[in-house]
Amino acid sequence: MKIPTLIAAALAALLTASQAKLNVVATLPDYGAVARDIGGDKVEVTVMAKPTEDPHFVDARPSFIVKLRAADVLIEGGAELEIGWLPPLLQNARNSKLETGKPGRVVASQGIRMMNVPTTLTRAAGDVHALGNPHFMMDPIIAKAVAKHVADAFASADAPNAATYQANYAKFEQTINVKLQEWGGAMLPFKGRQIVAYHDSWPYFARRFGLVSEIFLEPKPGIPPSPSHLVKVIADMKAAHAHAIIVEPFHNRKTAEKVASSTGAHIADGAQFPGALPSTESYVAFMDVIVARVVAALKE
Amino acid sequence: MLLAACAISGRVLAQEPSVQQQLNALQQMLREMQTRHQQEMDALKKEIADQHATIEELKKIPAPPAPPTQPPAAAPAATPPALPTGKTPPGGPPLFPTTDDSVLLPGTLPQIAPPAHAPGGAAPIPTTDPSMLAPGNFAASPITLASGGKSYLNISFDAIIAGAASTAHDLGALEVGDHDPHTRGFNARNIELALDGAVDPFFEAFANIVFKLDSHNETSVEVEEAFAQTTSMPLGLQVKAGQFFAPFGRINPMHPHTWDFADASLVHGRLLGADGLRGIGTQVSWVLPTRWYSQLVLAVQNGEGGTAASFRNTGENGTQFGRPTIDRQLNRVSDFAFIPRLEMSFDLSPTRTLLVGASAAFGPNDTGVNARTQIYGVDAFYKWKPAKSEGGWPYVKWQTEAMLRRVSARRGLNDSFPTSETLTDWGMYSQVVWGFSKGWAAGLRGDYLHMQDSPFTMEDTRQSRWRISTNLTWYPSEFSKLRLQYNHDFLQSSSFLPRRDEDSVFLQFEFALGAHGAHKF
Repeated sequence: MKIPTLIAAALAALLTASQAKLNVVATLPDYGAVARDIGGDKVEVTVMAKPTEDPHFVDARPSFIVKLRAADVLIEGGAELEIGWLPPLLQNARNSKLETGKPGRVVASQGIRMMNVPTTLTRAAGDVHALGNPHFMMDPIIAKAVAKHVADAFASADAPNAATYQANYAKFEQTINVKLQEWGGAMLPFKGRQIVAYHDSWPYFARRFGLVSEIFLEPKPGIPPSPSHLVKVIADMKAAHAHAIIVEPFHNRKTAEKVASSTGAHIADGAQFPGALPSTESYVAFMDVIVARVVAALKE
Repeated sequence: MLLAACAISGRVLAQEPSVQQQLNALQQMLREMQTRHQQEMDALKKEIADQHATIEELKKIPAPPAPPTQPPAAAPAATPPALPTGKTPPGGPPLFPTTDDSVLLPGTLPQIAPPAHAPGGAAPIPTTDPSMLAPGNFAASPITLASGGKSYLNISFDAIIAGAASTAHDLGALEVGDHDPHTRGFNARNIELALDGAVDPFFEAFANIVFKLDSHNETSVEVEEAFAQTTSMPLGLQVKAGQFFAPFGRINPMHPHTWDFADASLVHGRLLGADGLRGIGTQVSWVLPTRWYSQLVLAVQNGEGGTAASFRNTGENGTQFGRPTIDRQLNRVSDFAFIPRLEMSFDLSPTRTLLVGASAAFGPNDTGVNARTQIYGVDAFYKWKPAKSEGGWPYVKWQTEAMLRRVSARRGLNDSFPTSETLTDWGMYSQVVWGFSKGWAAGLRGDYLHMQDSPFTMEDTRQSRWRISTNLTWYPSEFSKLRLQYNHDFLQSSSFLPRRDEDSVFLQFEFALGAHGAHKF
């Protein structure tokens, strides 16, 4: 009887030690921001990609292996955005909690109806994502769904704090609902207007707020803008009366400036990730700034 | 619509009453009826969905709420999703929908809770956006053969074609790696088929099959790698088994198409072997529970044949280190090749990373019964990539490796060679690659190899030498590259070989098909 008791005690000690704080790794800063909102002070969040870098190309730094090995929960997009760097990290992390299908593995795109799923797969179309456009977090309604998913994962990984996570989710949801009125109201005058994007990362945002995002500075996803393509973009913009171009921190702003000067358009310095712009650490603060910048560019 | 169709068909009949046209007219009528019915059905479905949503809302709201506004009943066209209209109901603030069932797939996690109260205490309005459910807005998922998550196996195919010009008549003797350009003119010495996937919940497996076209355009096939490894062992342990690259240094475990230069470094090709060091065996690795990344690896391989050139290798012409070889079999544990490695990585800053490693390889060689070889290596890799980077650019990578090999070369088969010697060979390379603009990278590499001169051991590879290489690479996309490289080789004289200088130029083209490769650091 003595030995099983000892083992049980040791296990209990191990469990309580590991539950000091839930270790969460998020591949991208938007998932990280949501994880912080849901986890509050009960979680320790590590984000792999920097908010200002191209999420398709993140270095698989070995220090991430250490973080993944100690992680209780991993939040990833699961829509091929991280395909170039996450698989080797997970192979090396050897953390059974993060295996596909386990509650510790949050695949944010799960349950989301993806846009622009290619009907035929060919790289002649550029670096297309077989599972659809992965930039879905720009739709706040989808962000709520992801937040709920995160809250459920935290609750199952850390049962004693389950109520806190669900309460934080309720708060997040309510904030987004209130904010949606504000953002939707601000965007309302621009319904149906074109927003030109450097890369096709705004379809979800455009759909939510009634904009049209059909003109891109990149000729094909991942292929740098060529002079002949930009000539076409300028013509298309004039035909569509497009007056706003949105660029992200890692894009070549000079290309956008050239197009803007030929079309009289205004540039919105946007981003895909909380933290990429000043004082946008949380998802809501980030969307506040994005909406304000898009509105400002459309207004002029 | 029906009337119009009838009118059209009537007119057609009156003019030229052929059976074919009658049929056409009927077909058209049927099509129109089908469209109309479909539209009616869609509208009805939407109505039902809206009513369900309303019922759900009413169930969840304790107090009797304000009467919910009905979404417009008109069937929307199958254009891009219509946006919710920003209607202002009497007495309330502007309301924007806070839920949208159409963004979620039915029956999957997660479910969104009903909307909370809108600002100003107004009653919530159930708002969905059924127009987004219109068929045709979301294409069906494509059937893919070689893509993440859609098939049991990822398949990719990668080919390197290199054009070469050189002052050396025998480029194959100047270049040290088996997949390097070997002849003046065109070379295709590394055409690779790579497969990987999860075997079951416990193992994942990789295979790299290399097709190599030799100077006579004959194809040879190499099973470069074929191994499985565990996925979920406890305590950060992993076990690997099969044919695999020995975990020695930095370049050795990398496939040639991921190299930053068109050819192998001198130490890699001469001290480990033209094919690098790889073989059949098993490996245990352990990610240490340290705060920084550190991993301990121990591989055990047969260490036999041309892919273990410094170990039990009878040699292509029956000699190793100039001596007629004995074909030594595995008799005891110490006859295996053992390859331990320790690597560590430090994040110097958010934009700078350093990876350092120390490796060794121990095993017998084929020059005598107690003949043994030891190889030691240290390597370092540093990368800088700024916080704002597009497509991975810009960056600076610095990589360097140094190796030392000690060979106890005995007297060979039947003690036929005049003497036993200990040959101590060493060398290093250092390279810097600067990705200066998206899709472009420039590289500079310096190589040095010291082969201990011996008045007895005649082998045309035993020549001390240095090399300077520079290149420029253009990546049109992640899946193709074009590289121009210049090498200057200087080979020192030895007891048997004269000194010489050679210049070579390579134009290398690579393309990759299939599954998206992932890059290790």
